[in-house]
Amino acid sequence: MSNLEVWDGTISQKDFYVAARTLVERWKQVNPSLPQWTWIPSKSTLMGSSCKEEGYLSLENMFHIDRNEECLIVDSFSEREETDDVATLVHSTSNETHIYDFHIVYSFSYKVPVLYFHGYQSDGQPLSMDEIENDLPPSSSKILRESKWTYMTLGEHPYVRRPWYTLHPCATSDWMKLLLGGTSMKDLDISSYLLSWLSVVGQAIGLRIPLELQQRSVKHPSASCFIINN
Amino acid sequence: MASSPSPSSPSLNSGSVLQFDRFQSLVDVGFWHRLSSLKLDTLGIDQSPITLVGFFAPHSRAQVSNHLTLLSESLPTAPIDHASSIETNLGNRNRCPVPGILYNTNTLEEFKELDRDNLLQIEANKILEDIRLGKVEEDSTLLLRFLVISYADLKTWSFRYLFAFPALVIDPPATLMSLQPATQMLTAEEAESLSAACNEWRSSSLTAGIPFFIVSINSDSQATLRPLKDWESCQGDQNKLLFGFYDPCHLKTNPGWPLRNFLTFICLRWKLQKVRFFCYRERLGLANLDVSLIGDALISIPTDFTEPQYIPKVVGWERIGNRLALRCISLAESMDPQRLAASAADLNLKLMTWRAVPSLNIDVLQTAKCLLLGVGTLGCQVARTLLGWGVRKLTLVDSGRVSMSNPVRQSLYTFDDCLNGGRLKAEAAARNLKAIFPAMETEGIVMAIPMPGHPIPAQETASVLEDCKHLQALIASHDVVFLLTDTRESRWLPTLFCSHENKILINAALGFDSYLVMRHGAGPNVSTPDNNLECRDDGTAAVLMNELSLKDVGAKRRLGCYFCSDVVAPIDSTSNRTLDQQCTVTRPGLAPIAASLAVELMANILNHPDRIYAPGEIASSITGNSAQPLGLMPHQIRGTISLFSQMTLLGYSSSSCTACSETVLSEFRNRGMDFVLQAINHPTYLEDLTGLTELKQAAGSFELDWDDETDDDAEIQ
Repeated sequence: MSNLEVWDGTISQKDFYVAARTLVERWKQVNPSLPQWTWIPSKSTLMGSSCKEEGYLSLENMFHIDRNEECLIVDSFSEREETDDVATLVHSTSNETHIYDFHIVYSFSYKVPVLYFHGYQSDGQPLSMDEIENDLPPSSSKILRESKWTYMTLGEHPYVRRPWYTLHPCATSDWMKLLLGGTSMKDLDISSYLLSWLSVVGQAIGLRIPLELQQRSVKHPSASCFIINN
Repeated sequence: MASSPSPSSPSLNSGSVLQFDRFQSLVDVGFWHRLSSLKLDTLGIDQSPITLVGFFAPHSRAQVSNHLTLLSESLPTAPIDHASSIETNLGNRNRCPVPGILYNTNTLEEFKELDRDNLLQIEANKILEDIRLGKVEEDSTLLLRFLVISYADLKTWSFRYLFAFPALVIDPPATLMSLQPATQMLTAEEAESLSAACNEWRSSSLTAGIPFFIVSINSDSQATLRPLKDWESCQGDQNKLLFGFYDPCHLKTNPGWPLRNFLTFICLRWKLQKVRFFCYRERLGLANLDVSLIGDALISIPTDFTEPQYIPKVVGWERIGNRLALRCISLAESMDPQRLAASAADLNLKLMTWRAVPSLNIDVLQTAKCLLLGVGTLGCQVARTLLGWGVRKLTLVDSGRVSMSNPVRQSLYTFDDCLNGGRLKAEAAARNLKAIFPAMETEGIVMAIPMPGHPIPAQETASVLEDCKHLQALIASHDVVFLLTDTRESRWLPTLFCSHENKILINAALGFDSYLVMRHGAGPNVSTPDNNLECRDDGTAAVLMNELSLKDVGAKRRLGCYFCSDVVAPIDSTSNRTLDQQCTVTRPGLAPIAASLAVELMANILNHPDRIYAPGEIASSITGNSAQPLGLMPHQIRGTISLFSQMTLLGYSSSSCTACSETVLSEFRNRGMDFVLQAINHPTYLEDLTGLTELKQAAGSFELDWDDETDDDAEIQ
């Protein structure tokens, strides 16, 4: 790897694991009261690689509480009036909580991280794309709709093996290159890759990433001013 | 009994009815996936009850109660019930396993006819019996048995279900004497010790899955957690005792549902009537005694409860407010393989827009209804390529059967299709397309295209007339017509109809090693009194034509059709041909090339703002990139394999054209099918009509060589 080479925006699987550890630790320091990122090692290796540190990052049970929505319920079973006994507490309608899970998975074909996520109601019913967009802060929906770097789509989660929402990775190396750009290979702090990556992706899906997550780790101050444009 | 200093806060003077906060369910999508596989692969129509394992944990997130959760691991891995595999799951301390049972029916009627009350009663009876027989001391999770009834509709991938958390009803109900945060009922030392003991209990894999325990606090303020079966040994010492349990509830004012059966158990087995209980709750995964509660309850159980045959009253159906929480969930989008295939195909197309051609209009291609006339080498290949563009509606017309030589060259047929005389091509192709992509709509129509120069026997006139009308109706009801037949004359009638209906027509024809792919121009703007009144499937065509006639002056020249540069009308070209000519032998690579060009030409047309009216362009090294997203908009493409070369040509409509000229079209509009029949039965009629006969006679007197096919109207660069 020559020092004159310009970085192409990608990351190797081994470096992904290192960057993942950095993210886990930094998140714990900055957001101790939120759910934490955990590394889930995969039981079998994809791509036949012998890397022991193969797996993905998981952040689960992020809550979004919607104060306006009422719990919906299906048709009633029978006509007869039933109630529970006096020892049962009967609630008035409570707030509907939406729960989100986020996974960061390494893509072997694009050599970049990919975000997979899904949301569901408190009873487990999955949220549709529209319902998820409703939960997003307006700045995020704007980014998703207008930016040419972020494409939300359904894709098969390579480990869970079910369709999850994902931000398509085809443009990732391009904007990572811009974000940490101008760095020659020897100056690149690859362990902070995911912190920078998440600061961009987080904007698109409404994950509030405090600036402290990035500070002291990225060598180029311009990185924190990065804004996604058309 | 248990007594301790109450350093602060008044107890209630007289107790109120102890009200428990209901359990709520959460079913992960993976559970339904697993249940579907189980039904499809193993259980089939077997409706016997299925053992389940549910998971819950103490309350941990502010404002939100913890739910009883079902995951894919909740179902047995057939055929052995792997209850022990729970230990290997991640986050064991976050998932305390409890036993449950699922009644899943095969039909909606059976679901509605389930005797719910009876099923709930059975589970309640089990709980009472487990208490009586001393099984709860061994396995306390038996107090939390739950019940699920469901109906899984595996055709529509929708699931209806209802949970129940059976609780034995005690009459009169237990009364709550006091309920405080734990820190207010304990000294600081006791609280610290209790926290530590709880954390240890929660971290050890031996005890993390045990949700009920006895808290024993000695005179040195040291707390230990003991399993229920240690009750006897707890009796001797003078320690303070609390009855603790994992409490999923978040409310400050009420304990959670697990306490109900726990209190009943304590009273029945250990004959206590005054119980100090400990609602264990957490924050950030660790014991939190500000959020945890300690309360005092009074409970008395009538004696008949202890009799062996006693049937206890039970409540526990999950409710929202007072209504049953009967839920229906549809997972078609993530489970139906056909929809998954369709959305994967769509993603592919979207990637083109995102990365390569942002102004590409995919939607107009996906919604285009395409009619393929002829399902031979060209037709099969056109159909396949249209699939790649996401076209979802294809109608295929062919009168023939799959013959033995077809499968190797005609990519929609298999060996099976040519056995036993051969399947009908149109039907076989339609079926095989659906086997490739089930989400598409295909229809195969077995019909021969009537051709001029092939006179009709009198007795067949009626059926040929039907075919003509049918063909016109088909053309009217589609957006794009591909003309892929194997003779010249079979192209006449479709050309006429497309001109009349002003439909986009793409024509492909093959020689031995050369091909022609072209789009026909718009129809002539001959207005008839009926134009405005005609009821069309595609109303837009009629409107456009009227607009064009208003702007007639300076209108662009119409592009020509297949017959425009002919000077002979289509006649019978099939008789007296040698065998190899009749079979239209071509180099195998030719049809795929021509077919691909035909489809890409269509893509360009549909993405052009003027569509059928788009002017023709010619490829030139000087002009550079076209303004349109997909590039050039040619009129004709001719190529030859022997030179591996290809060129784009431009030709305008001829006023003597036997298929698309104003003369012919107005005659058709005036006389309808009579005109068509006349053209079919009398080979020279068209030439007479358009003046070609005269032209030929006039030309003949000049002794020109008619074999030279250069035409005044064609421009070649």
